[in-house]
Amino acid sequence: MSQQGGGATVTFEHVTKRYDPGVKGPGAVNDLSFSVPAGKICVLVGPSGCGKTTSLKMVNRLIEPTSGRILIDGVDAATREVTELRRGIGYVIQQVGLFPHQTIAENVAVVPRLLGWSPARQRERADELLGLVGLDPARYGGRFPSQLSGGERQRVGVARALAADPPLMLMDEPFGAVDPIVRERLQNEFLRLQQDLAKTILFVTHDIDEAIKMGDLVAVMQAGGVLAQFAPPEELLAQPASDFVARFVGADRGLKRLSLMRVRDLPPHPAVTARPGDDAAGARRRILADPFPYLLLVDRQDSPIGWLDQRAIPTSGTLTADEARSMSPLFGPETTLKDALSMLLDNEVQAGIQVDRTGRAIGLVTAQDIASAARPDGGAT
Amino acid sequence: MLDWGWLSSHLGAFADRTVQHIYLAAIALLVGFLIAFALALWAVRRPRVYPPINGLAGITYTLPSLVLFAALIPITGLSLLTAEVPLVLYTQVILIRNIVAGFQAVPQDVLEAADGMGYRRDQRLRRVELPLAVPLIVAGVRIASVSTIGLVTITGTLGDRFGGLGFFIFEGYTRSFATEILAGAVLSIVLALVVDTLLVAVQRRLTPWTRPPTLTTSVRVMESGTP
Repeated sequence: MSQQGGGATVTFEHVTKRYDPGVKGPGAVNDLSFSVPAGKICVLVGPSGCGKTTSLKMVNRLIEPTSGRILIDGVDAATREVTELRRGIGYVIQQVGLFPHQTIAENVAVVPRLLGWSPARQRERADELLGLVGLDPARYGGRFPSQLSGGERQRVGVARALAADPPLMLMDEPFGAVDPIVRERLQNEFLRLQQDLAKTILFVTHDIDEAIKMGDLVAVMQAGGVLAQFAPPEELLAQPASDFVARFVGADRGLKRLSLMRVRDLPPHPAVTARPGDDAAGARRRILADPFPYLLLVDRQDSPIGWLDQRAIPTSGTLTADEARSMSPLFGPETTLKDALSMLLDNEVQAGIQVDRTGRAIGLVTAQDIASAARPDGGAT
Repeated sequence: MLDWGWLSSHLGAFADRTVQHIYLAAIALLVGFLIAFALALWAVRRPRVYPPINGLAGITYTLPSLVLFAALIPITGLSLLTAEVPLVLYTQVILIRNIVAGFQAVPQDVLEAADGMGYRRDQRLRRVELPLAVPLIVAGVRIASVSTIGLVTITGTLGDRFGGLGFFIFEGYTRSFATEILAGAVLSIVLALVVDTLLVAVQRRLTPWTRPPTLTTSVRVMESGTP
């Protein structure tokens, strides 16, 4: 792999775009100021006409601001030669905009070609990027865009934007034109890519769920091009800055917070465990002292076997696996709290078991644990 | 019916007149294309000038060719110029409309992507817009070629030095000799068909991306409204 990655800081300073009255154009923007640190994904989200796309296009100067400055790594974009500026910024749009008359490999190598790379280097780079976005270069490189599915075209669009390894990418509803299943897959693939690439990304969407999922930072914009709130998604959901933001993120923002939090984020909730063959009286004493009424039976490797109701534990003798009741759902540390809660509800149980990568039981995850984590105060107990 | 003896004894004359026919048509098409392309580019860049250009080209198309010759002879005499001016004028309306339509058919998202990636204006025109306009431009050239090849016969009214295969039609008419009229007409039609077929082949070579018409592509083309 070649050297890839590294982002640029992007700063909007009092950026305003006004249109003459009567001119039907994209949304205006009013005194927009915010800063995106290098390597972060900043999502611009809001209803149509809120100026989010206008804001994006002012970065690569497809639209020129009326006033204010946009700094990329401290340099005012307005002072740079416009084609040179654009060649240094990746650009992905909803309709993809692949060139129908060029092969997929040629499409990916558009910016390298504009930059005057040698044909051999262009081809090498195109192959590398197609592989990166999950398209076999031998199979896809020679095809024309019309021969690809919508999802495949979107992948090519992302590969093309990455071709010259730009520190900054602008993505305007990049996954808006594909069906929800493909969109979800593309989102996940892109987030995985971004972990290695660490580009600075400005990402426009009208979909608050996509904003919360993709963004390290979310800029919520409202009609008139006004910035309503600029915050990490967790903060947006926990403390909406205005009624507009609260309405826009939706009445289910508590549930949305759950999709941002993972089982590993919960405060530890140790389970009372025992192994088959252990002394029953001792185990009984321990579980009666615990507020949770079930003893977790584990095997020699600490993998869960099943539950023992505290009342069903004999007062003498040893524990056996025979009396263990059916299992609860198992959660890995990366399971989102939303998925965890959903599984608890589906299985009609009060608690799931958190296991580590090797399957060892770590502790309990109860509906109560999840509910307190979802509270706007961050679940601090 | 047909005078086979006359036909076989005039093969040399057929060849000479065919060459002359191609020569007269080629000049008209080449000059006509250059003028139409320049006017169409102007109209694409400044949409305001398109209606007057289009209107003027449309009016010239309605003028009868014989009237044009009659009007030109006092100025340019029985010269090549007199023959070519009407031929060139008649190509304009077809070529201008098709070339403009070709550029207008380039999808907006493709243009936006090209701008966003840092194409300069001239680069975008040459490397993106022009190739994508080729199918409609070639379609215009095909119609203009067929109509010009037909019209070249009329230039025979200016005398023996012109007319191409039309010479046989005029001479056959004055001599009331059906074989000769038919020979001129058939050869002229065959020439038009051959040129049209060649142009189809040229377009296939120039636009490989339009060739494999899978189901999805044909649906997409229909949606984008390309005639």
